[in-house]
Amino acid sequence: MDSIVKLEIISFALIYALLIIILFIMKKSQIQQSKLLVWASFRMTVQLILAGWILTYIFENPHPAFVLTYFLVMNIFAVHRVLSKNKSLNRKFKVAIALSLSLSGLAVLVFFILVVIGESLFNPQYVIPLSGMVVGNAMTGVTLGVKTFRESFEGQRNRIQALLNLGVHPKKILLPFANQALETALLPTMNSMLGMGIVSLPGMMTGQILSGTNPSTAVLYQIAIMIAITSVVCVSVFSSLYLGYRTLYNEKYQMELP
Amino acid sequence: MDSVIIGEQLGFGPIEKYPPIQIPRHQTTFLYGPSGCGKSTLARLMNATLSPAQGQLVFDGKPYEEWDVLELRQKVVLASQNVFLFDQTIRENFGTFYEYRELPVPTPEEMTFYLNLCCLSFSLDRSCEVLSGGERQRIFIAICLSFRPEVLILDEPTSALDGATAHQLMNNLTTFAKEQGITLIIISHDKAIMEKYQEHVISCEQEGMDG
Repeated sequence: MDSIVKLEIISFALIYALLIIILFIMKKSQIQQSKLLVWASFRMTVQLILAGWILTYIFENPHPAFVLTYFLVMNIFAVHRVLSKNKSLNRKFKVAIALSLSLSGLAVLVFFILVVIGESLFNPQYVIPLSGMVVGNAMTGVTLGVKTFRESFEGQRNRIQALLNLGVHPKKILLPFANQALETALLPTMNSMLGMGIVSLPGMMTGQILSGTNPSTAVLYQIAIMIAITSVVCVSVFSSLYLGYRTLYNEKYQMELP
Repeated sequence: MDSVIIGEQLGFGPIEKYPPIQIPRHQTTFLYGPSGCGKSTLARLMNATLSPAQGQLVFDGKPYEEWDVLELRQKVVLASQNVFLFDQTIRENFGTFYEYRELPVPTPEEMTFYLNLCCLSFSLDRSCEVLSGGERQRIFIAICLSFRPEVLILDEPTSALDGATAHQLMNNLTTFAKEQGITLIIISHDKAIMEKYQEHVISCEQEGMDG
């Protein structure tokens, strides 16, 4: 297969012409979001160009410190995103989420790269894109799981209080909520597995095929990454919720719900 | 006087000092006073779902801190005013609550007995979603009562009931409690009910409790 056609700057710029169509439709339909569209396109362009430069530099000068820093920054960003959507949680719960997210991401990534692919842990060509997908999906999963868990208490406070008053262990009261939230967080990933290859060719596989990889290799990568993503979502949400719910009651089994 | 619960120098939140609490064993004690005077908070302190900011509570001669908290709550059950029932039939509700308490589910005859005690003559297969507030509260009380706690705290059990049913319920509850040696603590702002069924009153119109 041929390697991908290198995009020429001038012809590449033509893709921005499509934005004019969007702007036109927005104006017709009186959607007041044209500023957002322009701003978002601009930010995306700048961010991706920067990312491109950084990645080019890292690939040309591979050094474990770069890979580690990249992974660290990505993790901090992911943790920050989850916590900013769940501000009402107590401090210990937040620590539980940060640890669960980072450690499960790291564990799945190490297994994937070291065992399944058999590459060095510090090879940026593998670590950076794969950790992006693993950590990004874990982030989405934990955000959804914790938000569902937290919101499921709304309207159920009487239930929790009534059972507590009867001398039921807080663990027994909270576990059903945690299990329900874990299920909710897992469903989108499993559903996307179902449609894979029929409804859509997933992004990573498309990218690999575009850049000249044999489709059957791309397919193997895609299967592996999907299973890795499902596992990291499952483990990170499970661990966030199971460590987290214990922070909602004290040693006297009195509860303070977020 | 043999007191099952004793509270001294209790304080929580805006109520810096509750009057001394002595709950006589196997009797019916009323916590009486206007709403907002700290009755429900006192109930939660006695049920150990809250801890007092100051002072000490003693159950059966042993300070609250020395009890296993869950065991204590099972002995001093609080049926709060915020009634909760699962969206299930009455029979299934008994089942679910007993499952949470890890106890064998009572027989249908026992369930019916406790329902009748609470002036309800529903079929056990009635679903709870469609019942009125007062009916739901009585089903909840029936379930709490069926656990046969040593102390049962009822928060405003008659507030949603008409006069005749209120008296019938209070009459049944106090009689049953007396027979079975259950200590009742009733939170109420209904003076007539309080005067008729009280054997002991802690009034929050007294100094200190009106916060």
